[in-house]
Amino acid sequence: MFDNLLQTAIVVNLLAATVRIATPLLFGALGEVITERAGVMNLGLEGSMLMAAFVGFLVAERTGSVLLAVLMASLAAALVNLLLGVLAISLDADQTVTGLAINLLSSGLTLFWFRAAYTQYNTAGTPLIEVMGDLEIPFLSTLPVVGEVLFSHKILTYLAFLLVPLVSFLMYRTHIGLQIRSLGEDPRAADMAGIPVHRLRYLAVLAGGLIVGLGGAFVSVGSVERFFPDMTAGRGWLAFVIVIAGNWKPTRILVVTLVFSLLGAIQLQAQGIGVQVPYQVLLGLPYLVAILAMIIGRARSVAPECLGVPYTRE
Amino acid sequence: MSQRWRLKLEKRDRVSRGLQSFALLIASGVAVMITAALIAATGTNVAAGFGALWSGAFGSWRTLLASLTKSTPLILTGLATVVAFRARVWNIGQEGQLYAGAILSYWAYRAFQGQPPAVLIIIVIAAALLGGAACGLIAGAVKVAFGVDEIITTIMLNYLIGYLLSWLLSNPWRDPNSYYQHSPAVSDAAQLPILVEGSRLHLGFLVAIVAALALYVLVKMTPLGFEIRAFGLNSTASQFQGTDVRSLTLLVMLISGAVAGLAGGSELFGIHHRLKADISLGYGYTGIIIAMVASLNPVAVLPAAILFGGLINGSLKLQTVNQVPAALVYVIQAVVLLSLLTARAITSYRIRRVQSV
Amino acid sequence: MESTSFITVENLTKRFGPVLANDALSLRIRRGEIHCLLGENGAGKTTLAECLYGFHRPDSGEIRCEGRPVSFESPRDAIEKGIGMVHQHFVLIRSFSVLENVALTAQKRGMLLDLSQIGRELKSLCREYHVDLDLKAAVWQLSVGEQQWVEILKALFVGAELLILDEPTAVLTPQETERLFAVLRQMKSEGLSILLITHKLGEVMRVADRISVLRDGRLVDTVAVGEVDKQDLAHMMVGREVVLQVERENGAAGAPLLEVDNLRVVDDRDRVAVRDVSFTLHSGEILGLAGVAGNGQRELFEALIGVRRPMGGQVRFEGEDITNSRPRDIQRRGIAHVPDDRMHQGVVGDLSVADNLILGRQRATRYRRGPLLDRSRIGSAARDLIDTFAIMTPSLNQKVRFLSGGNLQKVILARELGDNPGCLLANQPTRGLDVGVIEYVHTQLLEMRRSGAAVLLISEDLDELFGLSDRIMIMFEGAIMGVVDPKATSVEEVGLMMAGIRDEPR
Repeated sequence: MFDNLLQTAIVVNLLAATVRIATPLLFGALGEVITERAGVMNLGLEGSMLMAAFVGFLVAERTGSVLLAVLMASLAAALVNLLLGVLAISLDADQTVTGLAINLLSSGLTLFWFRAAYTQYNTAGTPLIEVMGDLEIPFLSTLPVVGEVLFSHKILTYLAFLLVPLVSFLMYRTHIGLQIRSLGEDPRAADMAGIPVHRLRYLAVLAGGLIVGLGGAFVSVGSVERFFPDMTAGRGWLAFVIVIAGNWKPTRILVVTLVFSLLGAIQLQAQGIGVQVPYQVLLGLPYLVAILAMIIGRARSVAPECLGVPYTRE
Repeated sequence: MSQRWRLKLEKRDRVSRGLQSFALLIASGVAVMITAALIAATGTNVAAGFGALWSGAFGSWRTLLASLTKSTPLILTGLATVVAFRARVWNIGQEGQLYAGAILSYWAYRAFQGQPPAVLIIIVIAAALLGGAACGLIAGAVKVAFGVDEIITTIMLNYLIGYLLSWLLSNPWRDPNSYYQHSPAVSDAAQLPILVEGSRLHLGFLVAIVAALALYVLVKMTPLGFEIRAFGLNSTASQFQGTDVRSLTLLVMLISGAVAGLAGGSELFGIHHRLKADISLGYGYTGIIIAMVASLNPVAVLPAAILFGGLINGSLKLQTVNQVPAALVYVIQAVVLLSLLTARAITSYRIRRVQSV
Repeated sequence: MESTSFITVENLTKRFGPVLANDALSLRIRRGEIHCLLGENGAGKTTLAECLYGFHRPDSGEIRCEGRPVSFESPRDAIEKGIGMVHQHFVLIRSFSVLENVALTAQKRGMLLDLSQIGRELKSLCREYHVDLDLKAAVWQLSVGEQQWVEILKALFVGAELLILDEPTAVLTPQETERLFAVLRQMKSEGLSILLITHKLGEVMRVADRISVLRDGRLVDTVAVGEVDKQDLAHMMVGREVVLQVERENGAAGAPLLEVDNLRVVDDRDRVAVRDVSFTLHSGEILGLAGVAGNGQRELFEALIGVRRPMGGQVRFEGEDITNSRPRDIQRRGIAHVPDDRMHQGVVGDLSVADNLILGRQRATRYRRGPLLDRSRIGSAARDLIDTFAIMTPSLNQKVRFLSGGNLQKVILARELGDNPGCLLANQPTRGLDVGVIEYVHTQLLEMRRSGAAVLLISEDLDELFGLSDRIMIMFEGAIMGVVDPKATSVEEVGLMMAGIRDEPR
């Protein structure tokens, strides 16, 4: 009987961890899908998320307000995206290199800023912040198993999952969603139909940034008391891959995210489950799976026609 | 009938060399200004800060040699990027390929330890080339066989190779006598000879220069280079005119990976003399920036890499003397790239006053 | 006159960089008329249309709508004033459905997308003009003719009172063209204005009320259809006497050179594009391939040059199997090609003229010295080709994308013909070129024929095919409908086959 309880506890932990891990990935992928559907490829996703994570930490540390930290983090990512937007939309710069440059800028700037702001401490003694609290849904969170897995998370997690149907609705059931999608497929046709291509692309890039920023906020303020360099550890890249494997559709993105998250949860709980593998293998698993997911998903994955191609009226 | 004057942004037909240099100048100016701002933000005197940067980079003969030493891996990763980007193959995996080269060359060292120095050095250099090439080839093969974007594969491989290295250093190749997780030191026979006594400038630097010249000849003067350039500029027309996309992609990734792998072997046997986790401090990514600054010209990579090598040393000195975090160099690098992209993009337009209704 | 004018254009001028596309144009379009805008390629017709549609802003001049000056910031403004446009290259979103495409152009009513409402309104429009379309189908699934109907319906849906059509018949069979003209006449009788842009004299005579002829960006004259004949119009279009027929000497075809046997090829979306096609190309002949664009010609061409792998069947050249050969091998055997998309498939725009002249041949020993390219030999070979083919370029090193369309085609021809190939596959070689270059290309093709080479000429221009070909194949929905002797048949008969109607055996 005790074994049973132990097993249930492990499964519950695993599933709850899956939901937690999925949060920043969902924010990243949903934010990126809006941007990419509008035809702008944001390779700087990792950089936006990292900047948001750092800004979130910084604001939380200085002001003590979690709410303010999350808002500022979201804004920070939107600003980083805006930088990409200006280069990609108005200046027709190459989106691949610009995205990479933004990643490098974000990585370097957050590291520099962090060290400069906290040089008086060594890494062991950097100031800690108060992590966001859990928001347990009354009654629902007391249910056995389901209660812990689904209803005892932070508010950002609920928001992330709620965004899935919201973004889906926006994309497919509203006029503005139709217009955004047209930008990614054929901006010339959209222009001919009188849609303001550049303006709407900026909107998509900013909106995407705000959402991605929430993911960055979760990585720092929502999870851990301290900041460490390159904290996002490739989550932005995974989100980027998730968009492709999810065929740019919010519902499929959710499924792919959960698969990746489950893997991540397994890696965290490895010893508890009795997995006897070097920890490096577990750490590397998501990246390997990402490549596999791309290989499998490629055949049925259709990107927006004009993704990454700048538009000027000839 | 009213007429107005308005300003119109038009794309230029061509950007002259003068304008390109202007863009580079603007980018440098912006980078300098932002560097100054960041130095000031830490409370340090800006002039003193720049002074430290300069003296740490090229202030004396000794520091000049140190900067040349630092530039060695950067030249190689820059060249690796040039070859790939010319074909519009977006190899972002120089970091992983560098480490793959280091790993295989270390393995080769262990396997052929008994050989005389000259032979051993040739073996480890060849192994470095092979290791990087293999890593690059994996990404190329995945793209050719499955159509998966090389940007993603190479970045994922960067992480994977990193974990592989971590495992190697904590288990089979760990130095049993050390607290740190790194390999035992390599024998004297395997250390790359020093070029200038009293400095750390090693054979790798010469190898890098040779590589730069060789790649210049390849890209500009051979049929293969012609094909690479044509393919990068218009892959469809190249295909119609006989270029085999698959084999070209594989070949480019192979060459690119090999050159990056060479950087790994060079650092291992020239500087660190053992396999460790921090052989590269983002040299792979810096190489991308250098290639862009050099406008994908193999020979221009040399001065760009030396400049960036100097910057790295300069910022280390800045940290020592003025407590400005050495991470400043990463910011400078990224700012240079971004402002260059912006300046180049802006100079591709011109503003005209036109009449309109 | 003024009172019945719906749209008036006065002294409209539009420049693109150094190019003066429209030079002080003035014309009037009345309600209830079909007004044709006639001119050669590059005469400025599309530019004028795009100014009327708000896609471009004129540099000077005025557009008046019912007497009042208007200024369009974007197509949205033009749509609001009742101007609709059907472009030459459709502006439809291929992966969207018909409904979604119409919804995109329609005025936004609220935030929510109501496709069923749009569907109902569209259905009644379809009934009115007897058009049968699956509104839920994605645009890429529709035939080219059906896609054009979507474009027209889109414009009507948002209340167009002036419908601009830019070269609408380029993608239609003769029968579909008649159908379109019938509908246009119906619209005219309902009071709509139609601006029909075309370069085809025959059509203009059949359907226009008034004709405005453009040449080099300027208006030559506006005339009523009863006042002129084809020769007058041709003269106005070109400014000199025009020979409307090319001289072709009689010749007998030689031995079979290229044999195609039951070839089956699929397109990018895995649909069968070439269905069991068989034919033989002989040396010393020009074999024409007629057909409306989108019936498999592109896939056939790509399979023959080695860029697309066939699913079944065989291709033999001089008896040897080249079915799965790569482009490099096919070229080495002496099969040259001229692709239909010059800029994207034929040249590398950012390379020099000299480089483009050796594109694909860079490994040839005559261009090399050891492992390196021999720039001086490449340069002199390039100079020879430039002279022989009269290519106008300021220098060898000029980037090829700055060349005019005609000179670009000459570069491609020089490169391909410079090897003295035994076989030439030409896909729409004269599309978009002006008369002088067209004559030059025709001369080159006939010269190849005279010297014993085999030429496959794929073209949408029936006049060209009739003028040059020894035999004409007609392709419809991937299959060969028939092979005819141009001297023994008529445009109408070929048109029927292009539309899929085969002659019943008598």
